Amino acid sequence: MIAEEQKPMEEILGYLGGKQKVVVMGCGGCATFYRTGDKKAVTDMADKLTKEGKDVFKMPLPFSIQACEIDKSGVFLEKNRKELENCDALLLMSCGEGVQIVTEYMDEKMGISKSVIPANDTLGNVGGGPIHLKETCLSCGMCELGKTAGICPLTSCGKGLMNGPCGGVREGNKCEIDENKDCAWVKIYERMEKLDELDKFTSIRDPHQWSKTKRPRLFEMEEPVKIGLAAGIDAMKGMMAVTFGPKPKLDE
Amino acid sequence: MGDEVYSDLMRELKAGEYVFTGELEPEKAGDVNEPIEMARELVGMVVACNVTDNPQSFAYVNSMAASYLIQKETGMECVYQLRCSDRNRMALLSDVLGAGALGLKNILALAGDHVSLGDTPDAKPVFDLDSTTLIKLIRTMVDDGKDLGGNEIHNPPKLHVGGAAAPGAAHLKAEVGKVKRKINAGVEYLQTQVVYYTDVLDKFFGELGKVDVPILVGIFPARTFGQADFFDKYVAGVDVPPDYLEAMRATKAIKDKEKKKEEVDRVNIEFFTGFLEHLKGTPAAGCHMMAVGYPRIIPPLKKLME
Repeated sequence: MIAEEQKPMEEILGYLGGKQKVVVMGCGGCATFYRTGDKKAVTDMADKLTKEGKDVFKMPLPFSIQACEIDKSGVFLEKNRKELENCDALLLMSCGEGVQIVTEYMDEKMGISKSVIPANDTLGNVGGGPIHLKETCLSCGMCELGKTAGICPLTSCGKGLMNGPCGGVREGNKCEIDENKDCAWVKIYERMEKLDELDKFTSIRDPHQWSKTKRPRLFEMEEPVKIGLAAGIDAMKGMMAVTFGPKPKLDE
Repeated sequence: MGDEVYSDLMRELKAGEYVFTGELEPEKAGDVNEPIEMARELVGMVVACNVTDNPQSFAYVNSMAASYLIQKETGMECVYQLRCSDRNRMALLSDVLGAGALGLKNILALAGDHVSLGDTPDAKPVFDLDSTTLIKLIRTMVDDGKDLGGNEIHNPPKLHVGGAAAPGAAHLKAEVGKVKRKINAGVEYLQTQVVYYTDVLDKFFGELGKVDVPILVGIFPARTFGQADFFDKYVAGVDVPPDYLEAMRATKAIKDKEKKKEEVDRVNIEFFTGFLEHLKGTPAAGCHMMAVGYPRIIPPLKKLME
């Protein structure tokens, strides 16, 4: 899941300076989860912009339709072609990926070149929840977890050291940079100790191979997954069970 | 590890002499006049002086340039501090080659404080290598004449690499594990973070056990109350004893400059007499005296070790 938070209104209004007609587009994926691009967020944003004197057209996406999955979101873009052609700017309430994928699609497939403004700041891949989430994976392209007892120091160590801890560990084994964060290397030490693998701690890990992160990374699926009716129904059942069903007990 | 000796620091350490090093801090200035003046005062007092590299992530004169100028102007051998915070592996390699070309003989390989702690907090932190892999890089360059990619270095640099240790680390076992890793990487000497408490030192040496790498224990006789207070408040793993802090605070009230100096010296000598006496009984190979801007305190403290 990609975490995001809404930018300050002041910044958004700065980007929209001189743009009268604004389409506000939501996202039914991560941005809905973080309430930065769900239907309510789109409505609230539209209200604020209307108060600022803008002419606003709302374009929320249904739940599970993500702005970045262009074969699905593109259907909604095409459906609202007229509004997009007539607007001065599109304010996209998704992550940075959604903003850019939509921009490229509009430019190249729809022939509509407009200012596309991000409403959100994208904060990274996070997991956990439902309240506390944390970033644990950089998506670096070469997973090092096998060397570090299942905790990624590139992400979880404030300095991204492959051979820590640094000399700045604070009292309570907290990070040099932020006293609210745990030192990842103390965590790694403690896990290795539990696993009786402390010999791995003192071994030297080679520097990370950043050549695997040549940006932008491109990825091709030989056979894109097609969600058939049966799989769709199955997914819905799963979603309903998680949302409305009894919570599983940990001892079961 | 090769047997060659390139520096006076390493010569003294190998000879088993009790070694004293000092510390110089280049500033945010277009010259290094002040550290040069300090170095002049320390010639003959310490075998070498560390030259800090953007300490606490405050951007100052480049430590390689400062080390070269100090060494050239004063003859004081320098320990060129090099941190990974601001340079990727290519820049680090380039700097090590540069240091060799300029005649620097000692490097202290450091991860470095995070850039967000200093005066340029929006800078992109690098940390492409860490202290261990920087030590390994330098050893590979010096001993094998190769870089990390195995590429040949023509006329490899001739210098020694040291590392840091933090006896007061919040998690001593993890810290000691890291120190052992640095030893595995080929570190030739260690200099510790500042220690004020003898039991902290004893626990560290006890946890570390016997190692073949000489360890210089860091002490910080403060020139002002502000310096001591800064260490206490902002330097992780360093606790300044309240009694010492209070005695230093009391010196602030003395208006006469000479009397103030005398009292600051007296407080430091009184405090460090016990500490240095204790140090003699530890496995330490010497003392790293981080008396930045306070060279006059080194002779009386050295005398305590005789």
